[in-house]
Amino acid sequence: MHQVRLQIKGSDEARYSYSIDVQISAVLQYWSKPKNYPLFIRSVPVQNELKFHYTVHTSLDVVEEKISAVGKAMADQRELYLGLLYPTEDYKVYGYVTNSKVKFVIVVDSSNTSLRDNEIRSMFRKLHNSFTDVMCNPFYNPGDTIQSKAFDSIVSAMMVQAS
Amino acid sequence: MAQCVQSVQELIQDSFVPKVAVLCSEDAQKITRKNNLNFSELLRPFCRLTSEGHMRDSNNQVQVVKNLRISVNNVVTRPSVPTSGVHSPAQRRLLSEVVSASQPAEGGVANVITAGDYDLNISDRSVKASVPWYSDWRDTLTELSTSKHYTATTPWFEAYRESFLQSMPASDHEFLNHYLACLLVVSSSEAVPVEQFLKLSQEQHMIQHNGEYTNPKWFIPNTLKYYVLLHDMSQGDEQRADSVYEDMKQRYGSQGCYLLKINSRTAAAGTDEQIPDPWSQYLNKTRTAPGPPQESLVRNDTRNSLPDDARPIVRRPTDLPVAAGYDRVSAGPALQLAAGTSHGACLTLNDHNRLRLFIQEFTFRGLLPHIEKNIRQLNDQLVSRKGLSRSLFSVTKKLFGGGKVPEKSIAELKNTSGLLYHPEAPELQIRKMADLCFLVQHYELAYSCYHTAKKDFLSDQAMLYAAGALEMAAVSAFLQGGAQRPYPAHYMDTAIQTYRDVCKNKVLAERCALFSAEVLKSQAKYSDAATLLIKMTSEDSDLCSALLLEQAAHCFINMRNPMVRKFAFHMILAGHRFSKAGQKRHALRCYCQAMQVYKGKGWSLAEDHINFTIGRQSFTLRQPENAVLAFRHILTNDSQQTATQQGAFLREYLYVYRNVPGVCEVALPQLPLPCINSSATRVYFGHERRLAEGEKQAATHVSLDQEFDQDLAAVWQDLEEQVVAAANRGVVPSTFYPTQCCLNSQTDNLHFPLAVVEEPIIVEVAFRNPLKVPLVLSDLSLLWKFTLKDFSRPQPQDVMVGDAVTITNEKEAIAPRVRKGKGGIPSVCKFLTFSLLSWQARLKLLPRQTGQLTILGLVYNLASTPSTGDSTINSPSVRGRQDLEIQGPRLNQTKEEKTSVSHGPDRRLDPTITPPMPLLEVFFLQFPTALLCGEIRKAYVEFCNVSHVPLCGLRVASTHPDFFTFGSSSLATPLTPLSPTSFENCSAYKTLATPPGATPGSVTAVTLVSAADFGSGGGGVFGTGGKRVAEIPLGEGTLTPGESTQLPLWLRGPDQEGVHEINFLFYYEGAEKGGKISHRVLRHTVFICASRSLSVRATACRSNTLPEEEGRNGSMLVFVDVENINTSEAGVREFHIAQVSSSSKQWRLHKCINPAENKDCKLTTRERGKLCFRATRCKPHEATSKSLEKYTFADLSLGNEQIISSTTPCADFFFRRCQSSESWRPLIAVETQGRHSRSQGAGPGGGAEDITGVVRKCNEVDLDIIVLWKAFVVEDNKQVILEGQLHVALQTIGKEACSLRQKEEAQEMVLLKFKPELPPPMTRPSMEQLSHLIKTNLHYPESYSHSFVQKSLCMIPVILTLSNCSLAQVDAIIDLRHKTTSPESLEVHGSFTWLGKTQYKLQLRAQEVMRLPLRAGFLHAGVYNLGTPRVFAKLADQGAMCETSQQTATPALIIINST
Repeated sequence: MHQVRLQIKGSDEARYSYSIDVQISAVLQYWSKPKNYPLFIRSVPVQNELKFHYTVHTSLDVVEEKISAVGKAMADQRELYLGLLYPTEDYKVYGYVTNSKVKFVIVVDSSNTSLRDNEIRSMFRKLHNSFTDVMCNPFYNPGDTIQSKAFDSIVSAMMVQAS
Repeated sequence: MAQCVQSVQELIQDSFVPKVAVLCSEDAQKITRKNNLNFSELLRPFCRLTSEGHMRDSNNQVQVVKNLRISVNNVVTRPSVPTSGVHSPAQRRLLSEVVSASQPAEGGVANVITAGDYDLNISDRSVKASVPWYSDWRDTLTELSTSKHYTATTPWFEAYRESFLQSMPASDHEFLNHYLACLLVVSSSEAVPVEQFLKLSQEQHMIQHNGEYTNPKWFIPNTLKYYVLLHDMSQGDEQRADSVYEDMKQRYGSQGCYLLKINSRTAAAGTDEQIPDPWSQYLNKTRTAPGPPQESLVRNDTRNSLPDDARPIVRRPTDLPVAAGYDRVSAGPALQLAAGTSHGACLTLNDHNRLRLFIQEFTFRGLLPHIEKNIRQLNDQLVSRKGLSRSLFSVTKKLFGGGKVPEKSIAELKNTSGLLYHPEAPELQIRKMADLCFLVQHYELAYSCYHTAKKDFLSDQAMLYAAGALEMAAVSAFLQGGAQRPYPAHYMDTAIQTYRDVCKNKVLAERCALFSAEVLKSQAKYSDAATLLIKMTSEDSDLCSALLLEQAAHCFINMRNPMVRKFAFHMILAGHRFSKAGQKRHALRCYCQAMQVYKGKGWSLAEDHINFTIGRQSFTLRQPENAVLAFRHILTNDSQQTATQQGAFLREYLYVYRNVPGVCEVALPQLPLPCINSSATRVYFGHERRLAEGEKQAATHVSLDQEFDQDLAAVWQDLEEQVVAAANRGVVPSTFYPTQCCLNSQTDNLHFPLAVVEEPIIVEVAFRNPLKVPLVLSDLSLLWKFTLKDFSRPQPQDVMVGDAVTITNEKEAIAPRVRKGKGGIPSVCKFLTFSLLSWQARLKLLPRQTGQLTILGLVYNLASTPSTGDSTINSPSVRGRQDLEIQGPRLNQTKEEKTSVSHGPDRRLDPTITPPMPLLEVFFLQFPTALLCGEIRKAYVEFCNVSHVPLCGLRVASTHPDFFTFGSSSLATPLTPLSPTSFENCSAYKTLATPPGATPGSVTAVTLVSAADFGSGGGGVFGTGGKRVAEIPLGEGTLTPGESTQLPLWLRGPDQEGVHEINFLFYYEGAEKGGKISHRVLRHTVFICASRSLSVRATACRSNTLPEEEGRNGSMLVFVDVENINTSEAGVREFHIAQVSSSSKQWRLHKCINPAENKDCKLTTRERGKLCFRATRCKPHEATSKSLEKYTFADLSLGNEQIISSTTPCADFFFRRCQSSESWRPLIAVETQGRHSRSQGAGPGGGAEDITGVVRKCNEVDLDIIVLWKAFVVEDNKQVILEGQLHVALQTIGKEACSLRQKEEAQEMVLLKFKPELPPPMTRPSMEQLSHLIKTNLHYPESYSHSFVQKSLCMIPVILTLSNCSLAQVDAIIDLRHKTTSPESLEVHGSFTWLGKTQYKLQLRAQEVMRLPLRAGFLHAGVYNLGTPRVFAKLADQGAMCETSQQTATPALIIINST
């Protein structure tokens, strides 16, 4: 699962955009075969959404690299927060992977200095909690795209708060 | 990473080769022209040396030179081109052509790379040839064919790189591509060849030293001149040539000249000899490229037009101008080509060998010694200068500002690309030496020289020179091989950075990056390579950026953990740049490869973007099929794009579609939009129904507007089964299959549905528009296929003739199937489907012949709405089809079916057209929608045969058979007023005026009616199959075509209030049997709202009167409670009880006991009334065995007219009610009986059974009360009299019965029983029941006067009458002993005694009445209760086990007066 938060250059009124894109790699039988399809994507504003999709999708490679770098023995004690995945010219991409290999990605405008590592980390934690709630919903079919209103509102709140 | 055919070492080595210039005399030129080649071209295939050369370095060490290649070029003088650091437009164009000419081979071996869960087909033919060295092409080729390690190749990139490297302008800071030697070629046919040599030599000198031409740069001032005498074997005098050569040898030394004999093949001789053509692969490569011929033509043009700024030497105007970049010595695998213009036509294999030998001789004897000598010289120079320390040297240089070094400020140095040394400057000497060493593969020495030079240049701040030295140092360090020196990657980085940032020389930076990337890749540092390549992309050159991005992408996928997504993303970036650079094919390829990663992973925006681009590119590349395919993907997916974007996609798609050539002529293409939900397709057979026609109300039947209801369908099927069973004498035929008029996904579609000829078939197709923009559909019609079959033919012929008919007609039918065929009428319509809406279209087919029809799909025009409001401009529309393929339900019967996913057939769309069948239409007149409970209403029904075939066997089945009746025909017909308009004032009942003299309430008319009259006889109402089926009494039993009949229909409001759904199923068949369709049905559903009217409760009591008095053997009192429970006070004013009738086999109402003053009983809202009747048993003769089945109807009219209850409709409804109630009543009886019989055999207490039976029998009454009422209803300010009847069935004496069914019963049905009910433990009759066995009566004077004074004891005779009510013998014990249970009463009233015998034992026969005279003795005057005798009764044949019971005596008071 990814969360992406983006800031768009040159648009003053809506400075931040997030996209949360979720991809599940895994529940039960899918454990070993991550599918990496998006569960949830959100970006603000929407005009450049395609670019963010590409960015997020590409970042998966880095996420996988980081996970595999940790090593199998240490996998249990692994820090979920992966930190800055890579900087692009305009954005910073952060990653987070749950123990069930669900990935969160946040994309932030690189000129945004108010969001430091700690803020990003707490945002991920919040997201993870809310995602857990979604998964606890007995009517949620693991692997479906997330359509929970609660989740949506939490994401929106985070985007507003960060902007 | 894309693998090159060459190894990196080779690549670098081949990029830097000793260059040799050629100056040719005109005559020599002519000789070579015979072969369609110039001299340098002639030599080109032989420029790689297969043998090893040797040379000594400055330390006299022997150095082996392997696999050396030299480059031979014509001298082309160019005006000084400023080395701008960017490519000139001509160069760019050339590079672009090289790239576009090189395309992946089509149809190559699919090469799948598995990376994670992705399987990528990246390129078609690819080979990893990582052999460090190879000496022969053959080895390489075998290596290629046997190599198992396939990865991607990008030949276009290699071609680009090759061209790029070849087109590098010779620059001042490096000498690698400066000419080392010059070949002077003179023909032997020249008059004085030596003079010619002199001339050429002078010319060379002039070019090099004149300073006029800057461009052909020369390595060393005294360039090696090698004199070649070219001899044409076919023409010249060989001896003369030899003598000239001898002369030359003396003049230039044997090592400086050569006699080359070629053209030994005459045109006439040996044409059949196959001579390999080694030139083709160097010169004609473009021809072999798979690109379209135009491209190669263009390429040839540019080749000719290229040297606009590259003027050939004046003296050789005929020389074919060859661009510097057109040197393809190090080409990829040899491609055998179709012969273009043949080269070397005059050369034999011997000549080839001579050429090869010549090059070898030249290199080993001429070139290498020359280089060796120069290295030595340079070395000596350097060594002589070694005395001065480097630092000192630089200090002095700074101090004295040596004249060779132009003085420049630091800032200037930074700005310009660096300072320029004089060509003979000592700093350059070391670089020259390094270059020379490098060229002869002496990399170790080269590295140290470069290293030294680098330091010098850096200290001089000569950045360009320094960068060059760094680059070459790194390269030579790499080429040294072994582990002597680690590859200095940072040298490269610095070099690239310097080239790019300081020197602003993009071209050099790019070259450096290319090498660096290759080296990094060869060391598996893919990530570094990718970073480097991506860094090199710039806005300047799209082509270059595209190629570099693509290479970077390949780097990502070749990493140890393949980064598939990065690969895909960079492929897309590359594709974008390719398309900007005009390389459409490459762009398309990039996008297609990236698509593999994005496809089906839920990244819809990215997928749409890629698909859209692929579509566009394919279209511009004239691959409309692919374009259409790609666009389909965008449109069929549930797109998340905005509406405008979708609109754009759609327009683009339609535009592309229309431009697909010839697509409409062959077959109609499949359209992706709108989505058709195939399984939601509904098929309806038959005409569309008119629901109402004037005041007629048509049968609802089935229509497409109705939703399918599974429960309802089951009800209908059940009804149909019953009616079919009734029509077939109680047996449902095995071929029975329920009629389905409307087929949908839930119906059983396993059978071919049957349609009747000349009756339309309506197909409803469900469309869904997944887009947010409207779609316009027009000219919608069905596609179908028809096979003619004649079902009416006699059986034996049918097989043969039918087959023949099938074949011929099928051809006819298939051919016009796109257009309107003769068998069908495709309905044509124009529709607009709105965005995201589901929408249905109904299309009608009218079969005109019998046969087998198959509906294949739909044809329609698809267009988008014009974006502006202008509707006059027709937006492009395309005609296409969509097939209707319906998948049947999933099979889940056998194990195989359960484990696999298999689907059954669905034959919804394959109707069989059968011969004509009758078609019934039913209309209802005056059919009410609301009724009071029990209300009788008369309506009319019209049956109409609208077909051309007679109709018969009309029947009707209903879920509520007690709701309606057609009456018994024999009685009803004459009484029915034929005109329904006379309904208003006419009662539905048949009435008789009451005789004037008679008192109301006592007039009884008794009629005996057989149930058969209303059952199976007469007009025939009930079939044997089921009670719910009625035959409809048609006049002659058939309806001729076009005929219609009107019949009366009586309706009775249901007993339960509420809304009732009543289903009628009309059944009919054709006159002739044996058709494919045995019968047809018509459905009708009505909704009746029943409101409460009256509630009737009745109780029967045994009358205590003695039977003798009436002369009958039984009488009974019946109390009837009538309550008005109607709640609508406004509507219904009052109810009148008009008449009470009884119907029973044994009883009849005799008279009304309380004839009130008001003649009929009126009840307004919430009022209640009680009526009391006496009922008597029917006369014995009436109850004979013959008439046992007959019902006695007795009418007690309370008004002034008598309703004959024994006729239609009253009796009809009575009997129908019996049926419906009996349906549950006998069930219980049977059940209890069964249980009894079971326990009888097993239990010891079997004797109790009889008692129960007898006792019950004794209490049984089988009397039905029919209460006929009239209601005065105000309707539209008019008073309307409604009539109705209610039924009460009395079954047991003393038990109350109600016209409404008891609620408890209903509940009982609902109860779930998990265990079989225990047999009732008490099978014995209760006391109370037993007490009813014997009826007792005391007869005595009411009061008696006695003079106790005279006589103290008063004796009074009392007669006790005992009457046995049962049909069995009863023993009775009468105990007169005065044992009052309450002693108090004794004390108060005193006592009397029974005198005489006080206990009797009697036996009473069935229904016997016995009188028992008793005497009572009284002592005082007073009131006494005589009811003390206790009667115990028991059945006679029961043993002692039988318990007797006491007859509860009612108080019988006697007054004794004392006188």
